[in-house]
Amino acid sequence: MVCLEVLYQYDGSFAGFLSCVFEAMARREAPFGVFCESTAPVTLFESRRVPTDPEKAGRVFASLRKKLSYHAEEMVCYGFLHASPQKETALLRFLLFAYAAERQGLSACRMPGHEAVAPVLAMERQVTHEAHQLTGFIRFAQCGGVLGARISPKHDVLPLLRGHFCDRYPDEDILIVDEPRRAALWYPGRQGGRARLLELAGGFSFPEPDPEEAALQSMWKTFYQTVSIQARENPRCRMNLCPKRYWENMLEMQNALEGRG
Amino acid sequence: MELEQKLAILADSAKYDVACTSSGSARAGARGHIGSCFAPGICHAFSADGRCISLLKVLLTNVCVYDCSYCVNRRSNDLPRAAFTPRELAGLTIQFYRRNYIEGLFLSSAVMKSPDDTMERMIATVRLLREEYRFLGYIHAKAIPGASPRLVEQLGLLADRLSVNIELPSERSLCLLAPDKKKPAILGPMGQIAQRGRQGREELALYRAAPRFAPAGQSTQMIVGASPESDRQIVGLAEGLYRKFALRRVFFSAYLPVSTDSRLPAPDTPPPLLREHRLYQADWLLRFYHFSAGELLSEAEPNFSPYLDPKCGWAVRNLHRFPVDVNTAPRAELLRVPGIGPKSADRICIARQNGRLGIPELRRIGVVLKRAQYFIVCRGFTGARGAGRQAVARALLDPAAFEAGSEQLSLFATPGQSALQAPGPAPLAAQGGPPGVPALPLARLAPEIGQLAAGGMPPAKAARAVWAEAERQVAARL
Repeated sequence: MVCLEVLYQYDGSFAGFLSCVFEAMARREAPFGVFCESTAPVTLFESRRVPTDPEKAGRVFASLRKKLSYHAEEMVCYGFLHASPQKETALLRFLLFAYAAERQGLSACRMPGHEAVAPVLAMERQVTHEAHQLTGFIRFAQCGGVLGARISPKHDVLPLLRGHFCDRYPDEDILIVDEPRRAALWYPGRQGGRARLLELAGGFSFPEPDPEEAALQSMWKTFYQTVSIQARENPRCRMNLCPKRYWENMLEMQNALEGRG
Repeated sequence: MELEQKLAILADSAKYDVACTSSGSARAGARGHIGSCFAPGICHAFSADGRCISLLKVLLTNVCVYDCSYCVNRRSNDLPRAAFTPRELAGLTIQFYRRNYIEGLFLSSAVMKSPDDTMERMIATVRLLREEYRFLGYIHAKAIPGASPRLVEQLGLLADRLSVNIELPSERSLCLLAPDKKKPAILGPMGQIAQRGRQGREELALYRAAPRFAPAGQSTQMIVGASPESDRQIVGLAEGLYRKFALRRVFFSAYLPVSTDSRLPAPDTPPPLLREHRLYQADWLLRFYHFSAGELLSEAEPNFSPYLDPKCGWAVRNLHRFPVDVNTAPRAELLRVPGIGPKSADRICIARQNGRLGIPELRRIGVVLKRAQYFIVCRGFTGARGAGRQAVARALLDPAAFEAGSEQLSLFATPGQSALQAPGPAPLAAQGGPPGVPALPLARLAPEIGQLAAGGMPPAKAARAVWAEAERQVAARL
């Protein structure tokens, strides 16, 4: 494997990234970095545009489970949802190492201390952790017949929320809007439809709550205020467990947010 | 009375119950139903005291015939009283659940007429949820001490978890502070639930459709600091309960003075929050680290040190067990190393099959080398022998007890760059965390700091003085 001072650029899609993996394997080279065209840094290195090829991407994807393991496939899929601009570079580095290890009969997924593996495991943990937190922190509001919620996650976790919420509310219509990414999860459960991920054309806003909904929201806020024990107050602990970036979309945290000024 | 008013009264009365976990049950959703259960549990919000809100925790009623002196809902306390009807509470639960505010219902109650009457109303509520609303979410229900076994059986078939509060750590304290509650009335249902749960699991192994009795098991809680028991007695009791009744959790609750009873600590006593924290740490050691109660505390040393977490305390007393070779030691021994927890122990066991591990690998795996470096050897590292006792003591002291907070950890040098160097300056206590993050209240710190501060010393200075003394004490034992 030759280490080249070359950057790969691709279109930002998952298939595009897998095409980069194919390119690197086929040319037996380890590029200096892989970046999406829109976020690629300006460097003195040569940069090469790798075209997206669904067929090559499919071959790489199939090899993940076949040659590496189910866990490797998960690591790549979840890791790709990470927000870091370095994610593709880390993933490619992991995959090149994993394929090389596989040829020697070793499993890279079982080397959590290796410098090429640990960052990808960490990315996977961060993504799944945020998705898990959001399964609790999402707040739906009844808007007409639809349960609507807004999220602004760090990582692209919308696909990971689909299974949980469709399973939990099988007979409801659900709309979850990922505001910064202009993406939405739409599940028409009342008509018995399937969940779909949508792209939003423009901004999106939910209507103001009707009186019935407002009464319920007020009850929830009352409960939230009441259940805290004053003599044990510990704002630092709360902030560790429920970081502030979630607060804007959490009904009961509005007072605490405004209290800050 | 308005529903919102009732909710405020009955949530206020229930808030001293500690358990709010939604773990232990795994159940998929289904069309025609609402809800599901996720085995590790989900926290939906965190209240200002930092506790997780997972379940809608309310009492069915706070009208009580008992007069337990430690309890806010005691008969003699002048308090607004209310009661939900089963339909009101079931409807509210579903509406909250649909909006993803909660993971389910935590249903407890004061004893209104008799234990049986109260239990019947609770069962009616839970049955409404399960059968009419077809609710598959989590339900935690309290079994009322003294209720008939027939009703406990019914409740267990509907709820995910049952709990009976043991209230106080000894029978003597129970007689003194809760004269209406008797030990057999508490242990009776607990034994019944344990026995019935075991039977249920056996039946389930034989045929799949067997009814599931409290699939998330049972838990209990006790008040700490209202009565004179030592930590050793409390941890021993917890261990006994885990063994005998197969409890899933034992919760501790630091006593908050709610009355001026002469048998109880004075109303201005701060709640023993640090002690409660140490007990939970010990509880984790029992459940996940294969420690036994007898190892953690002895007759000569019946209480946990406020300065050291129980695991570091054990390590300091058992230096002959170290260093541990990370590349060969069994998992149970890895778990004894301060700075290695169950997750890093598992990762180490996997990783070392593919090559010997050194300090950089351990750091990437997530081992806390600040503490672990003094207790391990690994590839290229033969132990931090040159380190002075002071340096080791400094690394082991629990900074949270001195208000420095977790942010301070990053100040310490970790091995790799300078494994053998003494870590940097002692964390300056009472600096608080980063700007904008509030400092910890005195009640969460080592008690000596509070005493010095009460004598007029500035808290920051008091914390520094106590830190220096603690460092000296620990170093002397190494």
